[in-house]
Amino acid sequence: MFKTVLTIFMIVCIAVLGGGASVWYMLNANESVGAVTIGGWTAFPEIGTPDADPYAKARMAREGVLALGRAEGLTFVAQRDSTGEQLRRECSYTVEGPVPPARFWTIYAADADDAIIESNKLRPSALHSYQLLRRPDNSVTITVGANPSPGNWLALSGAGKMSFVLTFYDTPIASSTGVADIELPEIINAGCNG
Amino acid sequence: MARLFYAALIALVGAAIVHITVLFLLPSFSDRDAWARLAEAADFYKPVRIDAAAGEVPLVRSLDPLFYASACRFDLADGPVHVHTPGNVPYWSVSIYNRGGQNVYAFTDRTTDTGLLDVVVLTAAQMIETRKQLPEEFRKSILVEAPVGQGIVVVRSFVPDRSWQATATRFLRDVACTRS
Repeated sequence: MFKTVLTIFMIVCIAVLGGGASVWYMLNANESVGAVTIGGWTAFPEIGTPDADPYAKARMAREGVLALGRAEGLTFVAQRDSTGEQLRRECSYTVEGPVPPARFWTIYAADADDAIIESNKLRPSALHSYQLLRRPDNSVTITVGANPSPGNWLALSGAGKMSFVLTFYDTPIASSTGVADIELPEIINAGCNG
Repeated sequence: MARLFYAALIALVGAAIVHITVLFLLPSFSDRDAWARLAEAADFYKPVRIDAAAGEVPLVRSLDPLFYASACRFDLADGPVHVHTPGNVPYWSVSIYNRGGQNVYAFTDRTTDTGLLDVVVLTAAQMIETRKQLPEEFRKSILVEAPVGQGIVVVRSFVPDRSWQATATRFLRDVACTRS
């Protein structure tokens, strides 16, 4: 009798704890169903729409996000450089390569909590495509780091993990023409301090 | 041994059931979603700034730092909601979210011929009524039929640099969110 009760108790415990923990784990994992990965960049074209998968919906409800609509834009996030290393605030990076068509786009660095990293200098903490210097072939090279650099410089500060957030506004790539076919800039590590 | 295996199997199936239940119930019971945060900040039909520039902590997460944004909650059961603001900024966009914070409709300033923000959100039934005799104040509005009851409308404004901050602030301050 006691053995049966204990078994049932154990089963219920494992079910509740296991079920809860697995949901918690899935919601904290960055990789999810519906993600589109291009190079090191990840986007969730369906996040925040009624078509989103249940995991994305649950994550949104937990974090209080109001996602951009498809007509507004599409956000890509990169956490690793071209060699697969985690992006760090004490390092410098060169972001260069083609960008898909869009009315304009913005790029900024975010810390581990997805909050913007302030430059702590008289520099904007985010860059947008209207203000960037371009090469003769219209491509863009951005240097990201704490040390000043010529050309397009996105100023960083502090230390620790970070990610790059690249958002295209009013862009045809967000609609159904196929997000997977586009090309995005590469993130190249240009050296680390300390 | 067979008994243990059987128990483990039941526990696993139970865990799967709990997993699915929690997953689907989470959006309806969350007190941290966008709606709950906005409800704490302001009443229905009262636009409130949700970006970091207006306060220390942004009300709603993952907003572009180069954007200012304002949100107001509405209930279409009270009638259509009319959102408009004078003025012009380099780029604005409007999103309509349902109660759960899912984006059901979005458009940008390129949608209009004048570049002025003037939108009316209504249900299918209200659309039929409104179309019968278009009120004078809706003459220049974009009519958006949205499959929502309660919802959130968000106006975003691009701030290319500091010189635009005053203009964008004024643009969002003058956002009127009225039921009619």
